[in-house]
Amino acid sequence: MTGDSTTGNRLRAEGLVLTYEDRTVVDGLDLEIPDGRVTVIIGPNACGKSTLLRALGRLLKPRRGSVLLDGAELARIPTKRVAQEIGLLPQTPVPPEGITVSELVTRGRQPHHKWWQQWTEADERAVGEAMDRTATGDLAERLVDELSGGQRQRAWIAMALAQDTDLLLLDEPTTYLDIAHQVEVLDLVRQLNRERGRTVVVVLHDLNQAARYADHLIAMKAGRIVAQGTPDEVITADLVHDVFGLASVVVPDPVTGGPLVVPGAPWQHG
Amino acid sequence: MTRPAGFAVLRAGRGSFLLHRRAALVAALLGVALAVTAVAYLCVGESFVSPAEVVRVLCSAVGGGQPSPDEFVVGTLRMPRLVVGLLAGAAFGVAGSFIQTVARNPLASPDVIGVTQGAGAATVAAMTFNVAAYDTLPYVSILGGLTAASLVYVFAWRKGLHASRFVLIGIGISVALGSLTQLFLTKGDYLVAQQAKVWLTGSLNGRGYDHAAPLASILLVLTPALLWAARAQRTVSFDDDTATALGVRLGRVRLCLTVLGVVLASVATAAAGPVDFVALLAPQIARRLTRTAQIPLLGSALTGALIVTIADLLARKLFSPIELPVGVFTAAVGAPYLMWLIVRTRSRSGGAR
Repeated sequence: MTGDSTTGNRLRAEGLVLTYEDRTVVDGLDLEIPDGRVTVIIGPNACGKSTLLRALGRLLKPRRGSVLLDGAELARIPTKRVAQEIGLLPQTPVPPEGITVSELVTRGRQPHHKWWQQWTEADERAVGEAMDRTATGDLAERLVDELSGGQRQRAWIAMALAQDTDLLLLDEPTTYLDIAHQVEVLDLVRQLNRERGRTVVVVLHDLNQAARYADHLIAMKAGRIVAQGTPDEVITADLVHDVFGLASVVVPDPVTGGPLVVPGAPWQHG
Repeated sequence: MTRPAGFAVLRAGRGSFLLHRRAALVAALLGVALAVTAVAYLCVGESFVSPAEVVRVLCSAVGGGQPSPDEFVVGTLRMPRLVVGLLAGAAFGVAGSFIQTVARNPLASPDVIGVTQGAGAATVAAMTFNVAAYDTLPYVSILGGLTAASLVYVFAWRKGLHASRFVLIGIGISVALGSLTQLFLTKGDYLVAQQAKVWLTGSLNGRGYDHAAPLASILLVLTPALLWAARAQRTVSFDDDTATALGVRLGRVRLCLTVLGVVLASVATAAAGPVDFVALLAPQIARRLTRTAQIPLLGSALTGALIVTIADLLARKLFSPIELPVGVFTAAVGAPYLMWLIVRTRSRSGGAR
């Protein structure tokens, strides 16, 4: 579902000011999320990257400025309508006690439900597909509380997928996962984007994962965007030093050929 | 055909409904248990009436005619009291399920967070100072319950409603309101105070259709809202962010559920007095029976009605000829069960969260 070929991208932010209580976290930020791409937001702790993602997903109301979806102010669109366009997975979602995986995934259909249509063919298709994609079919009857970290994260992603939105926002989806599960989740994100052309925005901690999986990279520091573009353009030793205050060497990734950040100044012998 | 585990799909025309199979089974069994208990309730008393006779009286109740002694005992003495018990129990169960759902805390129930105490204080005040007509007492009670709930809300609200703060403030408010009630009791006329005291322990003794009528009519009026709530309860069982991401208008849904719960608990309190622990226990028992991901509404209502009916049956019969208030019984049975519940859930989920 796209607006009648409005120029520019579907999700944008203009003059965004975000605050928690009296603390300003993001101050006057303009942003455009490229359609059909994987955008990764990186930055040090407390730089406002998660806050920005929450605002993009209308979980946080801007103090000033606005987030625009298809040119309309997000805060003015009914939240159920937003949920039909934007899927969002918070950093630490809490499941209802005693819910099974298949019911959790079914909850993702909620924004599409009417009270008298609780299980349509579209629901069946979306839930089945989401569970196939995330390989959660075998877990269908298990309780979410009983799953391992990696399985649980896959179940949550399945729920967000079942929501069947063109835009998907993920807040640090790899937290608490071991390296193999991190790669698994990010591969899945990438695959979703490639196969269905979904627009995905991910907040990540790991610079090298960001560099590997992003089409578009946004580096933030102290509530501002410091650099954005392709990983090749953005990831440089200067930027890593500027944003993270870390001395590093950037070398070509032996697998992808993209940038790879190796922390530390070059060894000086003698 | 795929469908969520444990659910059946009911189709009717273009409509399709998900039915939790176990919850449906549990509701049916609870219904049967409730019917059996109700008949037993009508049989037992100072004189025993055979179940066959009770069923005959129940079936001919609509017909009229000259009442036989059995008809008088069952239809006039026991039946009205049973109806009050059933309705109040169901209302307490539903009220508890709403408040516990909103607070996301099984300890939050109208009788813990001060709603029934508010209803109680308002009613006792109205009784002792003789300011309200007798048949307006249910509405005085609602007013008291809503006031108590608003107080809890105002004090617990800090840019968001934190579940445990909500419960702690609620306990504080309920203690304060309890003292207020004591004050009214000592200030009032001795006889009225005596009457109020019996009411305050939660007693069905001498309750009749004039107590059941306001409760029944309010339940009837609220039926569409309850149907909505049964579904809305599912949506607020996530954390705030996830629920909002799924398109739930959290603030509005929570407010509606809370007001519904407070009104029901207050009206039930007006009819039967604050029957302790029913609102706390019924939803938790029902949920353990159905194993649903949210508190089952119908199950809570049936469980509440069942608890009150059984408790009142025992209260009437166990120490006969002395009759205890039903509230004493629900408290005596409910308190140990609650402790067991807390210990069990803590040891099971210990360290998991």
